[in-house]
Amino acid sequence: MVAQFLTGMTDLPPQPSRRLRLGPAMTAILGLLFVALWLFPFAYMLLSTLKIPIDNISTPPKFVFTPTTENFRTVFENPDVLRFLRSSLIVASVSTAIALVLAFPAAYALVRFRRFYRTERVAYLFLLLQLLPIISLVFPYFAIAQRLGIRDTHLILVIVYTYWNVAWAIWLIRGFIEAVPAELDEAALVDGCSRPQALWKVVIPVSAKGLVAAAILIFIGAWNEFTLAFFLTARNARTYPTVIGFFLTHSGIRWGEMFVAASLGTLPIVIFALLVRKSFISSLSFGAVKG
Amino acid sequence: MSRSSFQRVEPWLYVGPALVVTLVLAISPIAYLAQAMFKDMEFGDPVGKAPSAGLGNFQVAFEGTAQILDGLRLTAVYTCVALVLELMLGLIIALVIENLKRLLPFVMSVFLVPMVVMPAMVAMVWRLYFSYEGLVNWVIGLVGMSPLNWYGPEHAMKAVIITDVWQWTPFFVLLFTAGLQNVPREIKEAAEVDGASSLQVLRRIKLPLLAPLMVIAATLRVMELVRQFDLPYIMFGGGPGSATRTLPLAVFNTTVQKLDVGVGSVLSLVLILLVVAVSWLFLIAMKRARVAH
Repeated sequence: MVAQFLTGMTDLPPQPSRRLRLGPAMTAILGLLFVALWLFPFAYMLLSTLKIPIDNISTPPKFVFTPTTENFRTVFENPDVLRFLRSSLIVASVSTAIALVLAFPAAYALVRFRRFYRTERVAYLFLLLQLLPIISLVFPYFAIAQRLGIRDTHLILVIVYTYWNVAWAIWLIRGFIEAVPAELDEAALVDGCSRPQALWKVVIPVSAKGLVAAAILIFIGAWNEFTLAFFLTARNARTYPTVIGFFLTHSGIRWGEMFVAASLGTLPIVIFALLVRKSFISSLSFGAVKG
Repeated sequence: MSRSSFQRVEPWLYVGPALVVTLVLAISPIAYLAQAMFKDMEFGDPVGKAPSAGLGNFQVAFEGTAQILDGLRLTAVYTCVALVLELMLGLIIALVIENLKRLLPFVMSVFLVPMVVMPAMVAMVWRLYFSYEGLVNWVIGLVGMSPLNWYGPEHAMKAVIITDVWQWTPFFVLLFTAGLQNVPREIKEAAEVDGASSLQVLRRIKLPLLAPLMVIAATLRVMELVRQFDLPYIMFGGGPGSATRTLPLAVFNTTVQKLDVGVGSVLSLVLILLVVAVSWLFLIAMKRARVAH
């Protein structure tokens, strides 16, 4: 690989054109400009949680204003908000746990039995099933759930989330299991462990870091999910992303409170993701880059 | 059970449960749609008792102003423009921030944030930013442009795309930055010693090394863009008129707003076929790229 690139290089014209090299100062400025462009909308959202209604719709946007905690108070005094946060927490954590329990052995088998079976095809089948459009399936789910009497329950959300999460989880975990040398669990098997024991005692501990990252990624997906939750639940089992509708009142949108709600649902997740940043980035590409 | 026959079933013991759950939950709604597309039924009617509509639903779905063709066109525009912008911007940004050595962890953290913010909240917050007196018009005012009516039919689609670009360009930035870190330093140094310009290093070394990663990232993103519902729905509900009514929005519009489950099912299945077809092409490319990587 290296040699191939270097031989390619020798064909290049001899004179170097240094004009195209950006100076370190220029790169730094340009880089920070991009950072600012991407940080600004998020920072502005956080800032807006402290504004009274009139400041939130003023033109030009206000960056200096008298802060208020009024928006926070209204949101926290709304019993529904905490109830929906709880709903989200239940649905996201239970469906993540189930997905991991189902996906881990499957991912393991897809990696370790690759020599004997066409496991790669099964892996792509999972991926293909995972990418079915939610909006096409949600109304049939609605009808089926209605018939089974489980519409507007945590159960139906856990079930449908498990479906989307399992396939995703298999692909995430596969990457981490590939990094575990096969000799490790083979040694455990030779030592008289059964395969499930080898999984439990060897493979899980060794790939623990990746499993945590996968769990967090899946949890975030379930926590943020909107479409299924929006159509399959009504009052009892509503999850947090669907509360946005509440800030649309007949007198307009209550922006300050909405910004608070948005920040509240987002900040824990952001902190979570930052904690596992490196494995997170690796997971994003199913292990195609190492974090 | 003999040892060899156990070995034959062993993998299925591990893959089986996950496969069964996934297949049941994928096939049962599709079976429902396959039934409903021949029925004349309203939202909420039991599919078993609804009268048959023959092929009437297909006629409605494909005739006249053709919801499907319109939906397909908008889906294509949305997917292609967003994907190209995100890929190009992601590449440019990754190449720029690659040089920010000590700041890099901080910069990567910043780019991680938009991706994990609730899409529903992103949609709502950006809807405010795009209002006439909002943040976006203020920013473009700073560079001397006159304010635009983002809520109008002319610019609504652009607003949705810009929002998606904000949320998902970071996906490409993070992957490409990580990929560039993996370019062996000896190669870059050797190239510099040989007197290669930055542009030459980019064309001959960095881009070829990033190419498989670009295919993988584009595949993962395309699969989301084609079927994306929440962002355009929350921002403009498919409107104004049908300006942002991509195929997923057309499914919603027909099934829930017009209550026509029969035609909605036809659209749903067309969307499923589209997603599977597009993803199939990209997945073949991704499979090759993963091998090459």
